[in-house]
Amino acid sequence: MIRTKRLTFKYNNEDTVFKFPDISLNKGQNLLVLGKSGIGKTTLLHLLGGLLRPMDGSIEIDQVPVHSLSNKELDRFRGRNIGLVFQSNHAIQSLNVIENLKARLFFGKKTISQTVIIDLLEQLDILECKNKKVRELSEGQLQRLGIAMAMVHRPGIILADEPTSSLDDDNCNKVIQLLIEQAEINKANLIVITHDQRIKPLFTNKLEL
Amino acid sequence: MNIWKISIRNFRFKPLYTFLGILTLSVSIALLVGIQQMDKSFRNQLDNNLGEIDMVVGAKGSPLQLVLASVLHIDNPTGNIPFEEAKGLMNNPMIDKAVPISYGDNYKGYRIVGTTHDFPVFYNAVIKEGRSMENPMEVVLGATVAEKFGFQIGDTFQSSHGLAETGGHEHAAPLTVVGVYEPTHKVMDRLIITGLETIWEVHHHEEGPIDNEHEVNDDHEEDDHHEAKEEHHHDEENGVHENNEKEHHDDQGPGQEITSLLVSFRNPMALLNIPRTINENTNMQAALPKFELERLYQFTGVGVKTITWIAYAILVISCITIFISLYRMVRDRAFDLALMRSYGANRFQLVKMMVYEGFMIAGTAFIIGVLLSQIGVYFIFEMITDQYKQTMSLQLEYKELFQTAGLVVLMVLLSIALAIYPITKMNISKILSHEK
Repeated sequence: MIRTKRLTFKYNNEDTVFKFPDISLNKGQNLLVLGKSGIGKTTLLHLLGGLLRPMDGSIEIDQVPVHSLSNKELDRFRGRNIGLVFQSNHAIQSLNVIENLKARLFFGKKTISQTVIIDLLEQLDILECKNKKVRELSEGQLQRLGIAMAMVHRPGIILADEPTSSLDDDNCNKVIQLLIEQAEINKANLIVITHDQRIKPLFTNKLEL
Repeated sequence: MNIWKISIRNFRFKPLYTFLGILTLSVSIALLVGIQQMDKSFRNQLDNNLGEIDMVVGAKGSPLQLVLASVLHIDNPTGNIPFEEAKGLMNNPMIDKAVPISYGDNYKGYRIVGTTHDFPVFYNAVIKEGRSMENPMEVVLGATVAEKFGFQIGDTFQSSHGLAETGGHEHAAPLTVVGVYEPTHKVMDRLIITGLETIWEVHHHEEGPIDNEHEVNDDHEEDDHHEAKEEHHHDEENGVHENNEKEHHDDQGPGQEITSLLVSFRNPMALLNIPRTINENTNMQAALPKFELERLYQFTGVGVKTITWIAYAILVISCITIFISLYRMVRDRAFDLALMRSYGANRFQLVKMMVYEGFMIAGTAFIIGVLLSQIGVYFIFEMITDQYKQTMSLQLEYKELFQTAGLVVLMVLLSIALAIYPITKMNISKILSHEK
């Protein structure tokens, strides 16, 4: 469950103040955020993910007032409840696939059994790469690893920042399907921000900035 | 998975940076430790070799030369002194022990020293096998000599004239081994001990041939040991070879000469008076080994200091290398670090990770550095043993090792702190939103 109210944000050395419309999502509900670049899509996503602090307004996720958490609490909250999917950089370069997932769990302070991890890799069709270094993966495998990294710790919210913009139509569809599917399995909210018109039809709940 | 594992992975991820950091740091550590150890061992060895000798009396000349020649046995003597005159000193009540020594011959580079039974006492040397020398032409071997040539009790050998391995003629009269000393790790080990009479006798019988060699040739030393009366030098290859053969012209008796007299005092007060009295009132000179060696250290100290400063300079450079490599790591991996933050890692965990990495580099370098220094020092000591026939005990000074380790830790900490400071200021959101 996500509720934001009168959320505003301003970067330190810039004059522009971003004002965001209120968001209200029930458990398991998805949202597609559309908008031109520079309008503050990523900023909104980072506010929800606890990577930025709002100038004003409130963010409540599962009754937790995220905007008023201390730094340490925020790190902890992010580690346990948020899964982030990025456009291209998906995992730690010096670790292999399985080590990355374990590192994600370690930092998120969660324990998940090896079999569950293996299941997840199998669902995402990257089980055969589990001992490969990140740089040895193909673009598609990397994106799927990114999804695995966002899912492995069973977060309540999955935030995806332009997850498809570097993918071809085929992969684009697959990735979005996977995201929706995995969010459903985990009963998580999925929020995708994009300017990619291809994925518009797949979401019922949309927000235009 | 934990911070250590991630650090180890990072440590191995960019081997070139890691290798460079380790290389420079280990070289500087090797130099620092090696120099300290060499300096320390060298001094200890020299100090140790003094045994209980407080003063040495010999012919006039360079006091340092006298000490090097008669106490450390690494230089040629300044000349001879009349035994009678030296004997006069032996009755001084301030003097505890006064031991005459006379030498001028060698066996394959190992000096044959004519002396009395008091000589081994200076070095606490005990007989391991056989007995002490009783008659002329009997010798007792120092541990190194015995081991090197494998002599047994009853074996005989012929000494050569002079102090160098080559150049002197062989004496006809054979010397008989009657005993072997326990190792003392002092200069004793590389000496062949015999009675004073042996030296006198050997040269007495060979008056003729030796005389032919007498070309008085004093161009070697600038010191004023020309003053030393009745001394004979002949230059051969590596230096002045002082002979004790003057005595054979005079037959045994009042004209007997010795090379020097080793003295230990009963009372430290004697250090002030006796040397001055001897230097002013006799034709002999008295030198204080401790004082002369201190002077020597001042000369060698310059070299040691220079190398030490070079080692410090390399240490600073290697810390800069570590700084640069960690700093680049922080920058190159900014995205990875930001990702870890997005996974829930706090700043402290990332700092810890980088500190571990820095210390893995420093620790590896320290181990390699100490090993390198030990190998280096070992070979240098081997060389010294070979050239100077002196076994030196290798000493690792833990106190100094810890000091070096402390310094390295401090420098490394500083460079790590500087390199990873940006982590604490990192703007995760900005890094994550500026994807390639």
